[in-house]
Amino acid sequence: MSTTTVNQTDCPEVKVPVTLFFTIGVVSLAENLLVVVSVILNRNLHSPMFCFICSLAAFNTMASLTKTWETLMIVLANVGQLEKKGSSEMKLDDVMDSLLCMCFVGSISSFLAIAVDRYITIFHALRYHNIMTMRRTKAILGVIWITCGVLAVLMVWFFQSKFIMICFVAFFVVSLAIICFFYFYMFMLARIHAGKIAALPSSSGGKFGRQRWRGSSMRGALTLTILFGAFVVCWTPFFLHLILIMVCPMNPYCECYRSLFELHVVLMMSHAAIDPAIYAFRSAELRHTFRKMLLCSDCKQRS
Amino acid sequence: MSDFHNRSQTNARRSDYVWQYEYYDDEEPVSFEGLKAHRYSIVIGFWVGLAVFVIFMFFVLTLLTKTGAPHQENPDSAEKRHRPGSCLVDIVSPQDENDKAFSRPLLAESRTYFHFYINEEDQGKQKPEEERVRKHSGARAQRGGQGVGSSGVDEMEEEVEEAAEHKPINGLMEESNTDRESAFFSHFNIPNFVNLEHSSTLGDDDLLYEPSATLERQSHSHDAHCDIH
Repeated sequence: MSTTTVNQTDCPEVKVPVTLFFTIGVVSLAENLLVVVSVILNRNLHSPMFCFICSLAAFNTMASLTKTWETLMIVLANVGQLEKKGSSEMKLDDVMDSLLCMCFVGSISSFLAIAVDRYITIFHALRYHNIMTMRRTKAILGVIWITCGVLAVLMVWFFQSKFIMICFVAFFVVSLAIICFFYFYMFMLARIHAGKIAALPSSSGGKFGRQRWRGSSMRGALTLTILFGAFVVCWTPFFLHLILIMVCPMNPYCECYRSLFELHVVLMMSHAAIDPAIYAFRSAELRHTFRKMLLCSDCKQRS
Repeated sequence: MSDFHNRSQTNARRSDYVWQYEYYDDEEPVSFEGLKAHRYSIVIGFWVGLAVFVIFMFFVLTLLTKTGAPHQENPDSAEKRHRPGSCLVDIVSPQDENDKAFSRPLLAESRTYFHFYINEEDQGKQKPEEERVRKHSGARAQRGGQGVGSSGVDEMEEEVEEAAEHKPINGLMEESNTDRESAFFSHFNIPNFVNLEHSSTLGDDDLLYEPSATLERQSHSHDAHCDIH
Protein backbone atom coordinates (compact mmCIF):
# COMPACT_ATOMS: atom_id res chain seq x y z
CA MET A 1 0.00 0.00 0.00
CA SER A 2 2.42 2.64 -1.14
CA THR A 3 1.05 6.11 -0.92
CA THR A 4 3.71 7.82 -2.98
CA THR A 5 2.20 6.96 -6.39
CA VAL A 6 -1.37 7.83 -5.41
CA ASN A 7 -0.91 11.58 -5.74
CA GLN A 8 1.05 11.38 -8.93
CA THR A 9 -0.19 10.58 -12.32
CA ASP A 10 2.17 9.08 -14.85
CA CYS A 11 0.14 10.57 -17.66
CA PRO A 12 0.13 14.31 -17.06
CA GLU A 13 -2.24 16.34 -19.13
CA VAL A 14 -0.69 17.38 -22.39
CA LYS A 15 -0.96 21.12 -22.69
CA VAL A 16 -1.24 22.65 -26.11
CA PRO A 17 0.34 26.11 -26.40
CA VAL A 18 -2.19 28.90 -26.53
CA THR A 19 -0.67 30.35 -29.69
CA LEU A 20 -1.60 27.18 -31.59
CA PHE A 21 -5.22 27.50 -30.50
CA PHE A 22 -5.29 31.14 -31.51
CA THR A 23 -3.64 30.51 -34.88
CA ILE A 24 -5.97 27.70 -35.86
CA GLY A 25 -8.96 29.62 -34.55
CA VAL A 26 -8.17 32.77 -36.49
CA VAL A 27 -7.34 30.93 -39.72
CA SER A 28 -10.48 28.84 -39.51
CA LEU A 29 -12.58 31.91 -38.72
CA ALA A 30 -11.18 33.85 -41.69
CA GLU A 31 -11.66 31.02 -44.19
CA ASN A 32 -15.17 30.11 -43.16
CA LEU A 33 -16.28 33.72 -42.93
CA LEU A 34 -15.01 34.27 -46.48
CA VAL A 35 -16.95 31.24 -47.68
CA VAL A 36 -20.15 32.47 -46.03
CA VAL A 37 -19.76 35.98 -47.44
CA SER A 38 -18.91 34.66 -50.93
CA VAL A 39 -21.95 32.42 -51.04
CA ILE A 40 -24.23 35.20 -49.85
CA LEU A 41 -22.88 37.81 -52.26
CA ASN A 42 -22.82 35.71 -55.42
CA ARG A 43 -26.25 35.06 -56.93
CA ASN A 44 -24.97 32.09 -58.89
CA LEU A 45 -24.25 30.29 -55.67
CA HIS A 46 -27.80 30.45 -54.36
CA SER A 47 -28.45 26.79 -54.98
CA PRO A 48 -29.18 23.99 -52.51
CA MET A 49 -25.71 22.50 -52.51
CA PHE A 50 -24.07 25.84 -51.84
CA CYS A 51 -26.61 26.63 -49.15
CA PHE A 52 -25.54 23.51 -47.30
CA ILE A 53 -21.89 24.38 -47.74
CA CYS A 54 -22.60 27.88 -46.47
CA SER A 55 -24.38 26.45 -43.43
CA LEU A 56 -21.38 24.22 -42.72
CA ALA A 57 -19.08 27.22 -43.01
CA ALA A 58 -21.35 29.23 -40.68
CA PHE A 59 -21.23 26.51 -38.04
CA ASN A 60 -17.46 26.31 -38.37
CA THR A 61 -17.20 30.08 -38.05
CA MET A 62 -19.21 30.03 -34.86
CA ALA A 63 -17.18 27.12 -33.50
CA SER A 64 -13.83 28.79 -34.14
CA LEU A 65 -15.09 32.09 -32.75
CA THR A 66 -16.35 30.42 -29.60
CA LYS A 67 -13.24 28.33 -29.14
CA THR A 68 -10.94 31.32 -29.64
CA TRP A 69 -12.98 33.30 -27.15
CA GLU A 70 -12.82 30.44 -24.67
CA THR A 71 -9.05 30.20 -25.09
CA LEU A 72 -8.83 33.91 -24.42
CA MET A 73 -10.89 33.51 -21.25
CA ILE A 74 -8.69 30.64 -20.09
CA VAL A 75 -5.57 32.72 -20.71
CA LEU A 76 -7.05 35.60 -18.75
CA ALA A 77 -8.04 33.24 -15.96
CA ASN A 78 -4.56 31.78 -15.81
CA VAL A 79 -3.04 35.22 -15.69
CA GLY A 80 -5.37 36.11 -12.87
CA GLN A 81 -7.70 38.60 -14.45
CA LEU A 82 -10.68 36.28 -14.16
CA GLU A 83 -11.84 34.06 -11.36
CA LYS A 84 -12.08 30.44 -12.34
CA LYS A 85 -14.97 29.49 -10.12
CA GLY A 86 -16.90 32.72 -10.18
CA SER A 87 -20.60 32.42 -10.99
CA SER A 88 -20.56 34.69 -14.03
CA GLU A 89 -17.55 32.86 -15.40
CA MET A 90 -19.28 29.53 -14.90
CA LYS A 91 -22.34 30.82 -16.72
CA LEU A 92 -20.18 32.12 -19.53
CA ASP A 93 -18.44 28.77 -19.63
CA ASP A 94 -21.82 27.06 -19.95
CA VAL A 95 -22.84 29.40 -22.74
CA MET A 96 -19.64 28.69 -24.62
CA ASP A 97 -19.97 24.96 -24.10
CA SER A 98 -23.50 24.97 -25.43
CA LEU A 99 -22.42 27.03 -28.45
CA LEU A 100 -19.63 24.56 -29.12
CA CYS A 101 -22.00 21.61 -28.81
CA MET A 102 -24.38 23.36 -31.17
CA CYS A 103 -21.61 23.87 -33.69
CA PHE A 104 -20.42 20.29 -33.47
CA VAL A 105 -23.87 18.85 -33.96
CA GLY A 106 -24.52 21.41 -36.68
CA SER A 107 -21.33 20.53 -38.53
CA ILE A 108 -22.17 16.87 -38.51
CA SER A 109 -25.73 17.59 -39.64
CA SER A 110 -24.38 19.75 -42.45
CA PHE A 111 -22.10 16.95 -43.59
CA LEU A 112 -25.11 14.66 -43.62
CA ALA A 113 -27.14 17.19 -45.58
CA ILE A 114 -24.35 17.63 -48.14
CA ALA A 115 -24.01 13.85 -48.56
CA VAL A 116 -27.78 13.43 -49.01
CA ASP A 117 -27.86 16.31 -51.48
CA ARG A 118 -25.09 14.78 -53.59
CA TYR A 119 -26.81 11.42 -53.40
CA ILE A 120 -30.05 12.90 -54.72
CA THR A 121 -28.11 14.78 -57.39
CA ILE A 122 -26.75 11.55 -58.73
CA PHE A 123 -29.47 9.00 -58.17
CA HIS A 124 -32.51 11.14 -58.79
CA ALA A 125 -30.94 13.52 -61.22
CA LEU A 126 -33.99 14.02 -63.38
CA ARG A 127 -36.17 14.92 -60.42
CA TYR A 128 -33.50 16.79 -58.49
CA HIS A 129 -34.93 20.24 -59.06
CA ASN A 130 -38.33 19.06 -57.88
CA ILE A 131 -37.04 17.20 -54.86
CA MET A 132 -34.58 19.81 -53.67
CA THR A 133 -36.26 23.15 -54.16
CA MET A 134 -34.95 26.29 -52.48
CA ARG A 135 -37.92 26.34 -50.14
CA ARG A 136 -37.22 22.83 -48.96
CA THR A 137 -33.54 23.67 -48.57
CA LYS A 138 -34.39 26.64 -46.39
CA ALA A 139 -36.78 24.52 -44.36
CA ILE A 140 -34.12 21.85 -43.87
CA LEU A 141 -31.57 24.43 -42.81
CA GLY A 142 -34.06 26.01 -40.41
CA VAL A 143 -34.78 22.63 -38.86
CA ILE A 144 -31.06 21.89 -38.52
CA TRP A 145 -30.29 25.21 -36.82
CA ILE A 146 -33.24 25.08 -34.43
CA THR A 147 -32.62 21.44 -33.52
CA CYS A 148 -28.95 22.14 -32.90
CA GLY A 149 -29.75 25.08 -30.68
CA VAL A 150 -32.24 23.11 -28.60
CA LEU A 151 -29.96 20.07 -28.37
CA ALA A 152 -27.02 22.20 -27.35
CA VAL A 153 -28.90 23.77 -24.47
CA LEU A 154 -30.21 20.40 -23.33
CA MET A 155 -26.80 18.81 -23.59
CA VAL A 156 -25.08 21.35 -21.46
CA TRP A 157 -27.79 21.42 -18.80
CA PHE A 158 -27.87 17.66 -18.50
CA PHE A 159 -24.29 16.90 -19.36
CA GLN A 160 -23.78 15.04 -16.10
CA SER A 161 -26.34 12.51 -17.19
CA LYS A 162 -24.82 9.64 -19.09
CA PHE A 163 -27.84 9.35 -21.32
CA ILE A 164 -27.03 12.63 -23.05
CA MET A 165 -23.47 11.59 -23.69
CA ILE A 166 -24.64 8.25 -25.07
CA CYS A 167 -27.02 10.09 -27.40
CA PHE A 168 -24.24 12.38 -28.55
CA VAL A 169 -21.91 9.48 -29.33
CA ALA A 170 -24.70 7.47 -30.96
CA PHE A 171 -25.58 10.45 -33.16
CA PHE A 172 -21.97 10.69 -34.27
CA VAL A 173 -21.66 6.98 -35.05
CA VAL A 174 -24.95 6.90 -36.96
CA SER A 175 -23.98 9.99 -38.98
CA LEU A 176 -20.61 8.45 -39.76
CA ALA A 177 -22.26 5.27 -40.98
CA ILE A 178 -24.76 7.15 -43.14
CA ILE A 179 -22.12 9.41 -44.69
CA CYS A 180 -19.89 6.39 -45.32
CA PHE A 181 -22.74 4.55 -47.01
CA PHE A 182 -23.77 7.47 -49.22
CA TYR A 183 -20.30 8.28 -50.46
CA PHE A 184 -19.27 4.70 -51.10
CA TYR A 185 -22.50 3.97 -52.93
CA MET A 186 -22.02 7.06 -55.09
CA PHE A 187 -18.45 6.08 -55.78
CA MET A 188 -19.44 2.55 -56.79
CA LEU A 189 -22.06 3.79 -59.17
CA ALA A 190 -19.76 6.40 -60.65
CA ARG A 191 -17.17 3.72 -61.26
CA ILE A 192 -19.71 1.53 -63.05
CA HIS A 193 -20.87 4.42 -65.20
CA ALA A 194 -17.34 5.47 -65.98
CA GLY A 195 -16.50 1.93 -66.96
CA LYS A 196 -19.44 1.71 -69.31
CA ILE A 197 -18.67 5.00 -70.95
CA ALA A 198 -15.03 4.14 -71.38
CA ALA A 199 -16.08 0.82 -72.87
CA LEU A 200 -18.15 2.44 -75.57
CA PRO A 201 -16.60 2.71 -78.99
CA SER A 202 -15.78 6.33 -79.33
CA SER A 203 -13.24 8.49 -81.06
CA SER A 204 -11.15 8.40 -77.94
CA GLY A 205 -10.43 4.75 -78.58
CA GLY A 206 -10.28 1.87 -76.19
CA LYS A 207 -6.90 2.32 -74.59
CA PHE A 208 -6.95 6.02 -73.94
CA GLY A 209 -10.52 5.85 -72.75
CA ARG A 210 -9.54 3.24 -70.21
CA GLN A 211 -6.58 5.32 -69.06
CA ARG A 212 -8.76 8.36 -68.63
CA TRP A 213 -11.28 6.30 -66.75
CA ARG A 214 -8.63 4.95 -64.43
CA GLY A 215 -7.04 8.32 -63.87
CA SER A 216 -10.32 9.97 -63.01
CA SER A 217 -11.39 7.09 -60.82
CA MET A 218 -8.09 7.35 -58.97
CA ARG A 219 -8.81 11.01 -58.39
CA GLY A 220 -12.27 10.09 -57.20
CA ALA A 221 -10.78 7.58 -54.79
CA LEU A 222 -8.33 10.16 -53.49
CA THR A 223 -11.03 12.79 -53.06
CA LEU A 224 -13.25 10.39 -51.21
CA THR A 225 -10.41 9.23 -48.98
CA ILE A 226 -9.49 12.79 -48.09
CA LEU A 227 -13.08 13.78 -47.41
CA PHE A 228 -14.00 10.81 -45.32
CA GLY A 229 -10.57 10.32 -43.80
CA ALA A 230 -10.34 13.89 -42.57
CA PHE A 231 -13.78 13.60 -40.99
CA VAL A 232 -12.92 10.36 -39.22
CA VAL A 233 -9.42 11.39 -38.10
CA CYS A 234 -10.53 14.72 -36.71
CA TRP A 235 -13.76 13.74 -34.98
CA THR A 236 -13.24 10.21 -33.68
CA PRO A 237 -10.60 10.95 -30.99
CA PHE A 238 -12.92 13.33 -29.16
CA PHE A 239 -15.81 10.89 -29.27
CA LEU A 240 -13.61 8.06 -28.06
CA HIS A 241 -12.72 10.39 -25.19
CA LEU A 242 -16.43 10.71 -24.35
CA ILE A 243 -16.87 6.94 -24.56
CA LEU A 244 -13.91 6.34 -22.27
CA ILE A 245 -15.24 8.79 -19.70
CA MET A 246 -18.42 6.78 -19.53
CA VAL A 247 -16.93 3.32 -19.74
CA CYS A 248 -13.69 3.35 -17.76
CA PRO A 249 -13.22 6.45 -15.62
CA MET A 250 -10.81 4.76 -13.24
CA ASN A 251 -8.70 2.75 -15.63
CA PRO A 252 -5.11 4.04 -15.95
CA TYR A 253 -4.97 3.32 -19.66
CA CYS A 254 -8.12 5.34 -20.19
CA GLU A 255 -6.67 8.10 -18.04
CA CYS A 256 -3.64 8.27 -20.28
CA TYR A 257 -5.87 8.60 -23.30
CA ARG A 258 -7.93 11.30 -21.60
CA SER A 259 -4.80 13.28 -20.78
CA LEU A 260 -4.57 14.12 -24.50
CA PHE A 261 -7.89 15.96 -24.44
CA GLU A 262 -6.51 19.28 -25.64
CA LEU A 263 -4.85 17.63 -28.64
CA HIS A 264 -8.19 16.18 -29.63
CA VAL A 265 -9.84 19.57 -29.38
CA VAL A 266 -7.07 20.99 -31.60
CA LEU A 267 -7.86 18.26 -34.12
CA MET A 268 -11.51 19.24 -34.18
CA MET A 269 -10.65 22.88 -34.67
CA SER A 270 -8.27 22.02 -37.48
CA HIS A 271 -11.07 20.13 -39.17
CA ALA A 272 -13.05 23.36 -39.14
CA ALA A 273 -10.04 24.97 -40.80
CA ILE A 274 -9.63 22.36 -43.56
CA ASP A 275 -13.34 22.02 -44.31
CA PRO A 276 -13.38 24.95 -46.74
CA ALA A 277 -10.53 23.37 -48.69
CA ILE A 278 -12.39 20.07 -48.96
CA TYR A 279 -15.87 21.30 -49.69
CA ALA A 280 -16.05 24.92 -50.66
CA PHE A 281 -12.87 25.77 -52.54
CA ARG A 282 -13.24 22.85 -54.93
CA SER A 283 -15.85 24.83 -56.76
CA ALA A 284 -14.35 27.10 -59.40
CA GLU A 285 -17.26 29.50 -59.08
CA LEU A 286 -16.58 30.01 -55.40
CA ARG A 287 -12.86 30.46 -56.01
CA HIS A 288 -13.69 32.99 -58.68
CA THR A 289 -15.95 34.93 -56.31
CA PHE A 290 -13.28 34.74 -53.67
CA ARG A 291 -10.65 36.19 -55.97
CA LYS A 292 -12.98 38.92 -57.11
CA MET A 293 -13.67 39.91 -53.52
CA LEU A 294 -10.02 40.05 -52.59
CA LEU A 295 -8.87 41.74 -55.78
CA CYS A 296 -11.68 44.25 -55.73
CA SER A 297 -10.73 45.31 -52.23
CA ASP A 298 -7.22 45.88 -53.60
CA CYS A 299 -8.65 47.81 -56.54
CA LYS A 300 -10.61 50.09 -54.24
CA GLN A 301 -7.52 50.80 -52.20
CA ARG A 302 -5.47 51.70 -55.25
CA SER A 303 -8.07 53.91 -56.96
CA MET B 1 1.32 9.32 13.77
CA SER B 2 -0.58 7.39 11.17
CA ASP B 3 -3.54 9.76 11.57
CA PHE B 4 -1.34 12.73 10.96
CA HIS B 5 0.16 10.98 7.96
CA ASN B 6 -3.27 10.19 6.52
CA ARG B 7 -4.52 13.74 7.12
CA SER B 8 -1.53 15.23 5.36
CA GLN B 9 -2.11 12.90 2.42
CA THR B 10 -5.77 13.95 2.25
CA ASN B 11 -4.82 17.62 2.48
CA ALA B 12 -2.25 17.19 -0.25
CA ARG B 13 -4.88 15.46 -2.38
CA ARG B 14 -7.37 18.27 -1.78
CA SER B 15 -4.88 20.94 -2.76
CA ASP B 16 -4.06 18.95 -5.88
CA TYR B 17 -7.66 19.29 -7.02
CA VAL B 18 -7.72 23.08 -7.09
CA TRP B 19 -6.19 23.50 -10.52
CA GLN B 20 -7.40 20.40 -12.25
CA TYR B 21 -9.93 20.23 -15.04
CA GLU B 22 -13.49 20.40 -13.77
CA TYR B 23 -14.82 16.96 -14.31
CA TYR B 24 -11.77 15.31 -12.86
CA ASP B 25 -12.65 16.78 -9.46
CA ASP B 26 -15.08 14.02 -8.63
CA GLU B 27 -12.66 11.19 -9.11
CA GLU B 28 -9.97 9.78 -6.96
CA PRO B 29 -6.52 9.78 -8.49
CA VAL B 30 -5.92 6.74 -10.58
CA SER B 31 -3.21 4.40 -9.40
CA PHE B 32 -0.63 3.35 -11.88
CA GLU B 33 0.37 0.21 -10.13
CA GLY B 34 1.11 -2.97 -11.94
CA LEU B 35 0.50 -1.89 -15.48
CA LYS B 36 1.15 -4.80 -17.82
CA ALA B 37 1.28 -2.90 -21.08
CA HIS B 38 2.65 0.51 -21.91
CA ARG B 39 0.52 3.24 -20.35
CA TYR B 40 -0.22 4.92 -23.66
CA SER B 41 -1.30 1.67 -25.26
CA ILE B 42 -4.87 2.79 -25.89
CA VAL B 43 -3.62 5.93 -27.58
CA ILE B 44 -1.16 4.05 -29.76
CA GLY B 45 -3.66 1.32 -30.56
CA PHE B 46 -6.32 3.84 -31.51
CA TRP B 47 -4.12 5.84 -33.87
CA VAL B 48 -2.64 2.75 -35.48
CA GLY B 49 -6.15 1.40 -36.01
CA LEU B 50 -7.32 4.69 -37.49
CA ALA B 51 -4.34 4.89 -39.85
CA VAL B 52 -4.89 1.29 -40.94
CA PHE B 53 -8.55 2.03 -41.56
CA VAL B 54 -7.88 5.09 -43.71
CA ILE B 55 -5.16 3.37 -45.72
CA PHE B 56 -7.31 0.27 -46.12
CA MET B 57 -10.17 2.41 -47.36
CA PHE B 58 -7.90 4.09 -49.88
CA PHE B 59 -6.57 0.77 -51.13
CA VAL B 60 -10.06 -0.66 -51.42
CA LEU B 61 -11.11 2.33 -53.49
CA THR B 62 -8.07 2.17 -55.77
CA LEU B 63 -8.48 -1.58 -56.12
CA LEU B 64 -12.04 -0.98 -57.18
CA THR B 65 -10.81 1.41 -59.84
CA LYS B 66 -8.25 -1.06 -61.17
CA THR B 67 -10.43 -4.17 -61.29
CA GLY B 68 -13.56 -4.07 -63.37
CA ALA B 69 -11.85 -2.28 -66.22
CA PRO B 70 -14.04 -2.03 -69.30
CA HIS B 71 -13.75 -5.13 -71.48
CA GLN B 72 -13.02 -4.91 -75.18
CA GLU B 73 -16.07 -4.66 -77.38
CA ASN B 74 -16.44 -6.77 -80.55
CA PRO B 75 -16.60 -4.86 -83.83
CA ASP B 76 -20.09 -6.28 -84.45
CA SER B 77 -21.50 -5.18 -81.16
CA ALA B 78 -19.73 -1.87 -81.67
CA GLU B 79 -21.60 -1.43 -84.93
CA LYS B 80 -24.89 -2.24 -83.27
CA ARG B 81 -24.24 0.23 -80.51
CA HIS B 82 -23.19 2.85 -82.95
CA ARG B 83 -26.33 2.78 -85.02
CA PRO B 84 -28.86 3.69 -82.35
CA GLY B 85 -26.61 6.53 -81.33
CA SER B 86 -26.56 8.04 -84.76
CA CYS B 87 -30.33 7.98 -84.94
CA LEU B 88 -30.95 9.53 -81.59
CA VAL B 89 -30.50 13.08 -82.79
CA ASP B 90 -33.10 12.51 -85.47
CA ILE B 91 -35.48 10.97 -83.00
CA VAL B 92 -35.21 13.50 -80.25
CA SER B 93 -34.87 16.78 -82.05
CA PRO B 94 -38.19 16.78 -83.94
CA GLN B 95 -39.92 16.47 -80.60
CA ASP B 96 -38.21 19.62 -79.43
CA GLU B 97 -40.88 22.07 -80.23
CA ASN B 98 -43.90 19.96 -79.50
CA ASP B 99 -43.16 18.15 -76.29
CA LYS B 100 -44.25 20.18 -73.30
CA ALA B 101 -42.57 17.80 -70.92
CA PHE B 102 -39.24 18.94 -72.26
CA SER B 103 -39.90 22.51 -71.38
CA ARG B 104 -38.89 21.84 -67.81
CA PRO B 105 -35.29 22.89 -67.30
CA LEU B 106 -34.10 19.66 -65.76
CA LEU B 107 -35.35 17.53 -68.58
CA ALA B 108 -33.86 19.99 -70.98
CA GLU B 109 -30.55 19.47 -69.27
CA SER B 110 -30.85 15.75 -69.55
CA ARG B 111 -31.68 16.17 -73.18
CA THR B 112 -28.60 18.27 -73.74
CA TYR B 113 -26.74 15.52 -72.01
CA PHE B 114 -28.12 13.08 -74.56
CA HIS B 115 -27.20 15.35 -77.41
CA PHE B 116 -23.62 15.49 -76.33
CA TYR B 117 -23.55 11.85 -75.44
CA ILE B 118 -24.44 11.24 -79.01
CA ASN B 119 -22.10 13.85 -80.35
CA GLU B 120 -19.11 12.30 -78.70
CA GLU B 121 -19.67 9.07 -80.54
CA ASP B 122 -20.67 10.39 -83.84
CA GLN B 123 -18.73 13.46 -84.72
CA GLY B 124 -18.43 13.35 -88.45
CA LYS B 125 -21.96 12.56 -89.53
CA GLN B 126 -24.38 14.95 -88.00
CA LYS B 127 -22.66 18.32 -88.23
CA PRO B 128 -25.59 20.55 -89.25
CA GLU B 129 -27.91 18.83 -86.79
CA GLU B 130 -25.30 19.21 -84.12
CA GLU B 131 -25.13 22.92 -84.68
CA ARG B 132 -28.87 23.27 -84.40
CA VAL B 133 -29.07 21.02 -81.38
CA ARG B 134 -26.20 22.77 -79.69
CA LYS B 135 -27.89 26.14 -79.99
CA HIS B 136 -31.11 24.72 -78.59
CA SER B 137 -29.33 23.07 -75.70
CA GLY B 138 -27.23 26.14 -75.03
CA ALA B 139 -30.30 28.30 -74.68
CA ARG B 140 -32.13 25.84 -72.52
CA ALA B 141 -29.16 25.05 -70.33
CA GLN B 142 -28.76 28.74 -69.76
CA ARG B 143 -32.28 29.03 -68.48
CA GLY B 144 -32.27 25.78 -66.64
CA GLY B 145 -29.05 25.03 -64.92
CA GLN B 146 -28.37 27.79 -62.47
CA GLY B 147 -26.65 26.05 -59.63
CA VAL B 148 -25.71 23.26 -61.94
CA GLY B 149 -23.99 25.57 -64.35
CA SER B 150 -21.89 27.21 -61.76
CA SER B 151 -20.70 23.89 -60.52
CA GLY B 152 -19.94 22.50 -63.91
CA VAL B 153 -17.17 24.97 -64.56
CA ASP B 154 -14.89 23.14 -62.21
CA GLU B 155 -15.21 20.02 -64.27
CA MET B 156 -14.81 21.90 -67.49
CA GLU B 157 -11.45 23.22 -66.41
CA GLU B 158 -10.21 19.78 -65.54
CA GLU B 159 -11.35 18.38 -68.83
CA VAL B 160 -9.59 21.11 -70.75
CA GLU B 161 -6.33 20.13 -69.14
CA GLU B 162 -6.73 16.44 -69.78
CA ALA B 163 -8.57 15.43 -72.87
CA ALA B 164 -6.41 16.23 -75.84
CA GLU B 165 -8.35 13.98 -78.13
CA HIS B 166 -11.73 15.45 -77.32
CA LYS B 167 -11.23 18.19 -79.86
CA PRO B 168 -14.89 18.77 -80.62
CA ILE B 169 -15.62 19.29 -76.97
CA ASN B 170 -12.68 21.63 -76.59
CA GLY B 171 -13.78 23.47 -79.67
CA LEU B 172 -17.23 23.83 -78.23
CA MET B 173 -15.80 25.05 -74.98
CA GLU B 174 -13.85 27.75 -76.76
CA GLU B 175 -17.03 28.93 -78.38
CA SER B 176 -19.13 29.26 -75.24
CA ASN B 177 -18.49 32.18 -73.00
CA THR B 178 -20.82 31.89 -70.09
CA ASP B 179 -20.46 29.39 -67.28
CA ARG B 180 -23.98 28.24 -67.76
CA GLU B 181 -23.51 27.29 -71.33
CA SER B 182 -20.53 25.22 -70.47
CA ALA B 183 -22.49 23.42 -67.78
CA PHE B 184 -23.69 20.75 -70.12
CA PHE B 185 -20.16 19.92 -71.23
CA SER B 186 -19.61 18.65 -67.74
CA HIS B 187 -22.46 16.23 -68.21
CA PHE B 188 -20.06 14.04 -70.10
CA ASN B 189 -17.61 13.74 -67.37
CA ILE B 190 -19.18 11.05 -65.36
CA PRO B 191 -15.85 9.60 -64.23
CA ASN B 192 -15.04 12.90 -62.58
CA PHE B 193 -18.26 13.41 -60.76
CA VAL B 194 -16.67 12.97 -57.35
CA ASN B 195 -14.20 15.73 -58.13
CA LEU B 196 -17.04 17.92 -59.26
CA GLU B 197 -18.27 17.92 -55.70
CA HIS B 198 -21.29 19.88 -56.76
CA SER B 199 -21.95 18.13 -59.97
CA SER B 200 -25.40 18.03 -61.18
CA THR B 201 -27.38 15.75 -63.30
CA LEU B 202 -24.81 13.08 -63.87
CA GLY B 203 -24.33 9.47 -63.68
CA ASP B 204 -27.87 8.41 -63.01
CA ASP B 205 -28.91 4.98 -64.04
CA ASP B 206 -32.08 6.47 -65.43
CA LEU B 207 -30.17 8.77 -67.67
CA LEU B 208 -28.09 6.14 -69.38
CA TYR B 209 -30.07 3.00 -69.34
CA GLU B 210 -33.80 3.45 -69.27
CA PRO B 211 -34.12 6.12 -71.93
CA SER B 212 -31.57 4.36 -74.11
CA ALA B 213 -33.73 1.25 -73.96
CA THR B 214 -36.77 3.17 -75.16
CA LEU B 215 -34.70 4.93 -77.76
CA GLU B 216 -33.37 1.65 -79.02
CA ARG B 217 -36.91 0.46 -79.49
CA GLN B 218 -37.67 3.63 -81.39
CA SER B 219 -34.49 3.25 -83.39
CA HIS B 220 -35.70 -0.01 -84.82
CA SER B 221 -38.68 1.75 -86.26
CA HIS B 222 -36.42 4.43 -87.62
CA ASP B 223 -33.98 2.04 -89.20
CA ALA B 224 -35.04 2.86 -92.68
CA HIS B 225 -34.77 6.54 -91.91
CA CYS B 226 -31.27 6.04 -90.60
CA ASP B 227 -30.14 3.99 -93.55
CA ILE B 228 -30.73 6.93 -95.79
CA HIS B 229 -28.21 8.90 -93.75
